[in-house]
Order: sequence, then C-alpha cells, then structure tokens
Amino acid sequence: MSYPVDRRGFLRVSGAAAATAALGLTSCSSTESGPVTLRWWDYFTLDNFQPGMNRLIKDIEAGVPDVRIERRSFPFAELERQITLGAISGDLPDLAIVDNVSMNTLGGSRLLADLTARVEKWGQGDQYYKGPWDGCQVGGKTLGIPNNSNCLALYCNTRMLKAAGVEPPTTWDELASAAQKLTSGDRYGLALSAIKTEEGVFQFLPFLWQAGGDLDTFRTYGATALAFQDELIAKGSLSEQCVGWTQQDVNTRFLNQRAAMQINGPWQIPTLKKADFDWDVVALPRDKEAATCLGGENWVVMASSKHIDKAWEVLEYTQRPSVLVPYLVSFGELPARKDLADRGSWASDPALRLFLSQLPLARPRQYGAHYAEASQAVGEAQQAVLTGSASPAAAARTAAGKIDKALGEQ
Amino acid sequence: MRQPSARRTRTGYLFCLPGLVFLALFLAYPLLYNVWTSVHDVDLGQLLGGAERFNGLDNYRSVTDDPAFWHSVRLSLVFTLASLLLQFTIGFALALLFARPFPLNGLLRSLLLVAWLLPPVVSGTLFRWMLDAESGAYNALLEPFGLSHDWLTDPSTSMAGVVFANVWVGVPFNMLLLLVGLHTIDPVLHEAAEIDGASAWQRFRHITLPLMRPVSVTVLLLGLLYTFKVFDLVFVMTGGGPVDATRVLSLYVYEVFFTFFRFGRGAAAGLLLLVVPLLVGVWYVRRLRREEEPAGGAV
Repeated sequence: MSYPVDRRGFLRVSGAAAATAALGLTSCSSTESGPVTLRWWDYFTLDNFQPGMNRLIKDIEAGVPDVRIERRSFPFAELERQITLGAISGDLPDLAIVDNVSMNTLGGSRLLADLTARVEKWGQGDQYYKGPWDGCQVGGKTLGIPNNSNCLALYCNTRMLKAAGVEPPTTWDELASAAQKLTSGDRYGLALSAIKTEEGVFQFLPFLWQAGGDLDTFRTYGATALAFQDELIAKGSLSEQCVGWTQQDVNTRFLNQRAAMQINGPWQIPTLKKADFDWDVVALPRDKEAATCLGGENWVVMASSKHIDKAWEVLEYTQRPSVLVPYLVSFGELPARKDLADRGSWASDPALRLFLSQLPLARPRQYGAHYAEASQAVGEAQQAVLTGSASPAAAARTAAGKIDKALGEQ
Repeated sequence: MRQPSARRTRTGYLFCLPGLVFLALFLAYPLLYNVWTSVHDVDLGQLLGGAERFNGLDNYRSVTDDPAFWHSVRLSLVFTLASLLLQFTIGFALALLFARPFPLNGLLRSLLLVAWLLPPVVSGTLFRWMLDAESGAYNALLEPFGLSHDWLTDPSTSMAGVVFANVWVGVPFNMLLLLVGLHTIDPVLHEAAEIDGASAWQRFRHITLPLMRPVSVTVLLLGLLYTFKVFDLVFVMTGGGPVDATRVLSLYVYEVFFTFFRFGRGAAAGLLLLVVPLLVGVWYVRRLRREEEPAGGAV
C-alpha cells in the first residue's frame, strides 16, 4: 500500500534517522517508539544529596532524547546485596552508581555490561586519574566509568595544634608524638574509624600501604601497621572506642573538639565549614611510602539491560563537564577527571584542593572477586588488636592466612 | 472401630491436600533447593552464568574446616544455654509472683508483655543505645559505683550484653506460658498439703515443680528453637562484633551468603544450622506421642 508522504512527516523521520546515525546508535529495537524508561539504582539516600540528584535526572531527561529515569536508592550497605539478589530474581536496574569497591564482587560475575568498545570510541578514558580508572578495569575489560572520587587525609584543629606547639605531622613518628601532645582530659589527639565494616578497612589500608606492604604481605607489614595503631591506643592518644566508630562518628568527635586530629574524607567538608573553629587538612602522614585509599563511585551498566545503548548515552551525558561539575559541587565530591581539576569549587577551596592533590596517590581496593573475605579478615585483625585480645603479630598471622586463602582462589 | 470405606479415605486425603500443597511449596521445595545448592560450587558468577558444578561434599568440608564455623557453633550454644537458663528462671519467678492476686496484677502483666511484642530490631536498637559506653543509660547508672564498662565494644563482655537483651525479650513469653501452667494446678492439692503441715518450700518442691514439668519442657524447647536461630537482635546490636565475639551461627551463615556470596557454602552451613533444632524437634515430637499414649494402650 502506498501513501503520500507529507513534508513534515518526511522531515521528522529522516531527522530521527540522521540523529540515530550521528549518535552511532545500533539500537536493536528500531521499532521502539516513545521514550525509554531506564531503571537506575544508587545509595544516595541522605537528604542533602536529593537536590543535586533530582537536578541531574531532570538534566538528563532534558538533554538525552527519549529517556525517562526511574530512580531507586538503597542504604549504602544494601546496594551491592540488592544487585546480587536482583541478579538472581531477574529484577535489575539498567544502570547504577556503585561504590568503587563493589567492582571486586560485581566485576567477576558477568553482571556488568562490557563497555570497552564504547569507551574506546568515546575516547575520553585518558582524561581520568589512574587509580579510579584502573578500578573500573576487570579482566581486561572496562566495566564502569568513575563518577567521582575521594580519598582520606588528616584534618587538624588549628588552634589546638598551635596551643600545643605542634606542626601538622608528615610522618608516622610525628603523628604519634603530635597525637600524644594533643591528648588531654577528655580530648584525644587522634580519631579514626576502626569499625568492623568496609569503612574501617578503608581507613586501615593506608597504614598498611604506608608501611610498605599490601594484602599479600600482611603477615609482615600488617603487623607493623597494627602495632603502630596499638601503640596509639596504649598511649591514650586514640580512643579504644574507635572500634565502634563510623567515619560519621569520627567527624562528630572532631566537630565537638573531642579530637584534635581526625582521618576522614572530603565529604565531611560541607559539615565542617559550619564549625566555629579553624581547621586545616594535610596529607596522611607517611612511613616508608605515602599512600591513601581511593573511595568514590562508579557508573555501571547491567549486562541484563535491554537498553544498554541508551544507558551508555545517559552515562556519557553525565560525564560532560557542564553536567558533571554542578553535580559534584552539590555533592561535595571530587572529580575523577583530570580535565576538571581547575573548574568547580575544588579549584578555589584549599581543603578540596588538598584532597585533589592526593588523588594521584590514592590506591583502589582492587583484589578480585573474594576481596570481601580478605577485607573482613583485615577488619577482624584490627579489632582484635585494638580491643587487646590479640598481639599485632598474632593477629596479622591469623589474618594473613585468611587473606591468602581468599585471594588465592581467584 | 469401623473400617473406613475407600471413598471416605479419598475424601480424607482431599482435605489434607491444601496443607500438603502448602508444605510442599513453602517447606519441602526451599529445603530441597538448599540441599541441591549445598552440593554444588555456586558463587555469584556461576549462579548467573548457570555453570554450577557438582562438587559433592566439598562445601560441607570447607565449612567444617573453617575454624570460624566452629567458633560460631560454640557461641550459638553459649548464647542459647545462657539465655534459656536466665529467661526460664526469671520467667518462672515472675509467674509465681503473678499467680497470686494483688492490685495492678493485670496491668503489670500486660506491661511486661510489651517486651515480647516489640520487633527485635527495635529492642536491639534500644539496647545498643542503652549499653553504649559513652552515652548509654546503664553506664550512667553504674558510673557512681565505678562499674561503667564498654559493654558491647569489649569482646569479653559483648556476648553478655547480647544475652542480656535477649533474656529481656524472652522473659515475658516464658512467664506467660508458665503462668498458664500454674493455673492448671488444682489449688486443692496445695490446701491438702498445707493441712498436712508442709512448708511453702516443700509445697513448691513436691507439688508445683513435678506438676509443672510438662509445661516447663515445652517452654524450654520452644525457647531453644527460637533462641538457636536468633539473628535480628544480634545483627542489630553488634553485627557479630567486636572481632567475632558475637558471631553466632545464624550470622555466620548470613555472612557466607550475603557478604562473600558463596552460595554453595552458605547452603551447607545453613543445613548444618538446622541440625540442632531438628534433633530437638524430633525428640520433642516423639516425647509428645509417648505422653499421649494412655497407660492402658487401648482406646
């Protein structure tokens, strides 16, 4: 059956075809009509994240043609578990923002779409810092795109350090002596998180790396790092209660001036800006090496998604400086891209600049599919030592056995 | 007794059908699936790729070779026995108290039940706060006596803290059942004993206790089945920590499943977790049967 083609209809169809061709879309469902709804999961449940998130989604729906976003957010500790259970029940999102450490578990499971070819075509991979980018490479494939990064540094209460005549510490020895000088009454010299979750391990690993070791040499260098922290507690410079503190609790201690120094991340800066005292941030003190741990989130696309192309389009859109910078600023996060180093609030804010300067040193926790078990062994060793139920050497030996077993079974 | 006709038997089976279907769907199928998983090498990748490899008893072997598993078994036994002992004793004492009439008896009894009605997540959170080292209510009370302590962050006392909370949750239930049991004892027995000159202790020892035995066994067994698999309360209060001082068996299984994503091993550990309650359950059912058989035997 033939029918006359009117001019407008012709333009509409050819325009759409041209746009499709221009975007290099090889959509499998060319018959698709109307907007595609993409399901999106993240763990940004806190109120202060909502405005930035809602703006980003509005922005995407306006800037990417024919897309609707259906967002769900889970508590931080639940997201990975939900994705895993979703994989079993077949209820998965199209794309998700996951903690960079989740790449260990999710990466080896065929859950994530392989973005290698798309990323090569896109050609912006070299704009990212090495640590965050390496964290998205699993088994030679690109399985995600770093969305933002953070790392740990040392916050100091300026007035307290001045009063005690202490310079911000740059080495372990200086840290130990500064912490001791700064401890008085119900005020501890140092606060850090040693809780039995990934948060505590995130804060412990820099010590292991600074000692010159890694998970595969935990028996030796784990003992060194554990002994150093144990010493801090023995001298009273660090509260034994830190085995129950989240990083949020640590920050509260610092805010209430119950700790003169704290190890924490840049996401605390917005809260700390409201403090009624002066503080400063310096790099984590070094021992044999300078090191800090990489945190932050990655974008991933699920292999099960029916709209991988559309999801990639959205992902690519979020990485445009005009979209990414306002989003990062509202979240108090740092870019994982070098080309944004001089753009957002982190270009002018000295505290954010310090964190940014540490990103090249920040190491990803990239240890393969069974990292969770190794991480738990590290956390338990730390708890055993700091609560006084095992010596650093014994705890490191026990943990090393578990770590080797977990990481040896790749 | 008349022999039932074939038709009546059929009708009988028909009446059993809904129950059987329910059991098959919600009990037999998950259990069998669990058994199947426990003899395969299943982790996240294999589960999704559909490449589960049969590995016989390997999962059971790696579970029983894991010192952490036996540590959890020990903790579960300690947790269960300590909880049972305390909640039964306190529950019995309270039942004896409430068995006597006194003003506000009913009101106090209902108030006690609140503990049992609260979801474990709520009571766990409450106790976590109350036992908190720095801002907890208990330490505020104990401070003047120099007895304040980091209850839940010290590995040597965290188990006591969790048992304490669990006992608080368990006492009302024990009390209620034991109170019902006390009410079934004929007061005439006590009156007769009193006339014969028996002291209160003798009456308790020779009348109350023997007559309470069947109820007590039931209460203790139900308590054991409940307590052995407690998860939520411990999970909320300590998450199994500090170190692994409160990682009872249910938390161990949860960890293998949902932190390490080793489903085969988790299924094996889960089945091993079933062993104790199952043995106890079988023993209890057989005991019930024996009790129901009257001395004469013939009906």
